Amino acid sequence: MNNDNGMSLEARDLSRSYRRGSEQINALDQVSLTIRRGEFVSFMGPSGSGKTTLINLLGCLDNPSSGELRLTGKNIFGGGKKLDEKALTRIRREVFGYIFQSFYLIPTLTVRENVALPLAFYRKPGSEGEVDRLLKMLGMDHRMNHLPGQISGGEMQRVAIARALVNRPEILLADEPTGNLDTKRSGEIGEILQDLNKNVGLTIVMVTHNPGLARLGGRLVEMRDGQAYES
Amino acid sequence: MISRFQIAYKNLLRKKARTLLTLIGIMLSSWVLVSLLGFNRGYEHALNRDIDNMGYQLMVMAKGCPYEAATMMLQGGTGLRYIEQSMVDEIVKKPEVDKVTPILMQAFFDPDKGDGGGIAGYFGVEAATFPGMKPFFRFRQGGWFKDENAAEAVMGFEAAELEQREVGDMILVPEKNVKLKVVGILERTGTQDDGTIFVPLKRLQMISATDKITTIGIKVKKGADSTKLETALYLLPDVQVVSFTQVKQTIMKLIATARVMVLSIAIIALLIAMVGVINTILMSVLERLQEIGILKTMGAMPGDIFMLVWTETLILCSSGGIAGIALAFVFARLSDLLVRRVLPYAPGGELVAIDMKLALLTLAVIVAVGLLSGIYPAWKAGRVRPLESIRSE
Amino acid sequence: MKGMSCYRIVLATLLVFFVMAIPALAAVGCDLNDPDRDVARFFPDSSGYKTSYVSIDKRGGDTMLKRVEKRLGDRFHGIYETIDVPYTIYEIRKGTQKIGYIHGVNQKGAYGGIQVFVALDTTGRIRSFYIQKMTSQWAKKLRDPKFGRQFVGLTLTDFDSYDPASGKASGKLTEIRNPASEAEQDFRASLRALKKNLILMDEFVYSPEKGRP
Repeated sequence: MNNDNGMSLEARDLSRSYRRGSEQINALDQVSLTIRRGEFVSFMGPSGSGKTTLINLLGCLDNPSSGELRLTGKNIFGGGKKLDEKALTRIRREVFGYIFQSFYLIPTLTVRENVALPLAFYRKPGSEGEVDRLLKMLGMDHRMNHLPGQISGGEMQRVAIARALVNRPEILLADEPTGNLDTKRSGEIGEILQDLNKNVGLTIVMVTHNPGLARLGGRLVEMRDGQAYES
Repeated sequence: MISRFQIAYKNLLRKKARTLLTLIGIMLSSWVLVSLLGFNRGYEHALNRDIDNMGYQLMVMAKGCPYEAATMMLQGGTGLRYIEQSMVDEIVKKPEVDKVTPILMQAFFDPDKGDGGGIAGYFGVEAATFPGMKPFFRFRQGGWFKDENAAEAVMGFEAAELEQREVGDMILVPEKNVKLKVVGILERTGTQDDGTIFVPLKRLQMISATDKITTIGIKVKKGADSTKLETALYLLPDVQVVSFTQVKQTIMKLIATARVMVLSIAIIALLIAMVGVINTILMSVLERLQEIGILKTMGAMPGDIFMLVWTETLILCSSGGIAGIALAFVFARLSDLLVRRVLPYAPGGELVAIDMKLALLTLAVIVAVGLLSGIYPAWKAGRVRPLESIRSE
Repeated sequence: MKGMSCYRIVLATLLVFFVMAIPALAAVGCDLNDPDRDVARFFPDSSGYKTSYVSIDKRGGDTMLKRVEKRLGDRFHGIYETIDVPYTIYEIRKGTQKIGYIHGVNQKGAYGGIQVFVALDTTGRIRSFYIQKMTSQWAKKLRDPKFGRQFVGLTLTDFDSYDPASGKASGKLTEIRNPASEAEQDFRASLRALKKNLILMDEFVYSPEKGRP
């Protein structure tokens, strides 16, 4: 799945619906788009617009009800094919890193241990030195022996970013990364993401309510009623 | 870097009180289990050792003797039943017999032993045959008498201590006012021999004005059919045969029910502790669903999560098990004392015998049962779907 | 052979009673056989008693031993008169008030151990003298209350002059009569035991009460 030059994530008529009681909810309705290597795509939209559902499908956290998803030309979802949890995990760990609104750091592990955590389960060749390098790059090397409870929200999100990048993913998926941060910290995280995209060349797919943050990326997609509208 | 073991271990530290309580539960049930298994083994060994220390495996006594023997020993009564010494010659001819030794048990009343008086027990034994039956005897001072007629005595450890006797001192046989010279004092044996005074058989017979004996001790040849010998001995007139194998079997039967009951309680305690383990680990999993989901986004396979949670169970059970076994080692003596208080018959030596082999076996049982208990929570954790768990805020 | 199994069980039970282990005892001390009876006998107005256990090695070690031997005028002998022998002190009470003590010591006699007990008041004066056990043809004479009455009212000071080695005495002790001339060895052993008893009570109880080391 590793393609240095022509990496792309292509969604074709992706749909996702589910039942809530007796009601059928169409969270995503035939969305098609392509994300290329090095792009910074932001998804905005009101609650229930389907932005989170889309990012979950793009990030292989879920199976679509219909439609296709291809990664660099190779079919991940499509033709009614459903992947089990093991298969999804294999794809996720090769390609994606994730950060979320709630950081989800392990409270009993230090900053350094949290960043190194993914390596306990899967280690991409060459990832060994990434822990210290990322901590330094993100300005968290002086806090590496602290526990999550001893650092600020902004610092926690930096740690989460470092953790998400330790296995050198192709794509970083960020679901409301500044949702729990104040303006100043949100700005800092935004700058970090921008820096990772511009200077490191990391492909970023982000969901946000924050218009300022959304404008940092080169591409904005608005979601409404399960459909995508690109500006 | 961080290993999976460290992740599991640190997870347990999240709720220290809960982890500690679960550990205590496992520790206590392990302590009970290993102590009881140690008792099961120790009691039988100690009993066998005591019976071996008898030196002889069979005793022939006059019929009706035990009741009178009890009376004699406890109250200094008369009417002791005797057997002819010539019976020794008959018994020694039997093919299964290795050695025999004639014994005369006599008791004399000492009016100056306490306010109501007390009895002093003497064993008349043959210098030629009795020591060979008791090769385990060790002397604190002196040795056996050589002359079958000598006015001498060998005293058990506690008999000597009570009378403040050393080798060379004199003792007085009450009622008869016969003086004997102490030639030997035995080391402690942990049996009734400690309170016994041994006198040459002929001398005691002379003092008691009898030529008879009360008991014949019989050592059976190795590999010989003891039951066949017993049956043959029963044919002798007016005698009762006592086999120490029977004594042991009787005692083992008496305590067998207690052993089974107590072992059942130990197993129930273990199962209760394991229910505690399931509860602890399951609660821990349910509290960490989101975190487990995140681990899966990082690349942890369902099997990885299963092993992570199972490792937590392993840490709990092995730590609790080791702590419980260590407690059992430390308090083995106390357990021994408690058991002695409770049991009607307690042989000498270690009653609660815990060695490394038993400890490791018990630990293996605890860990195995624990891992079995941990399967469900671990499986449940492995099945977590990241999306559902992350979204469940 | 009918009824054999029942008989065997009885037999086995009895043999177990005789043959099986008695709990191992520590170095032998000297206890009253029936403390309830004996306390009431020596202190008829008592309401209860407290039992405590002391030994020279735990209370004062070698220093105390040397002091006791000096006061006794004789060394501790043999394998039974040792520094770790436990001594039982019965502290007699009337209500909450202490009214006296009972204490016994073992002493080597001619043919066996002699257990010599003494009942004392709170000043250390002898109220009663009692030989609980003695092995001798003449034990009856030495255990006769008439013999014991000779010691009533005496204190440790009266024994200062008594030399156990030679049997020589002065002062009030010269009035003590041996009722059994045939048992001179046991008579002297009883006196030695009594002196040792009083010295130990002084060391364990009376001197500490007075604040002396």
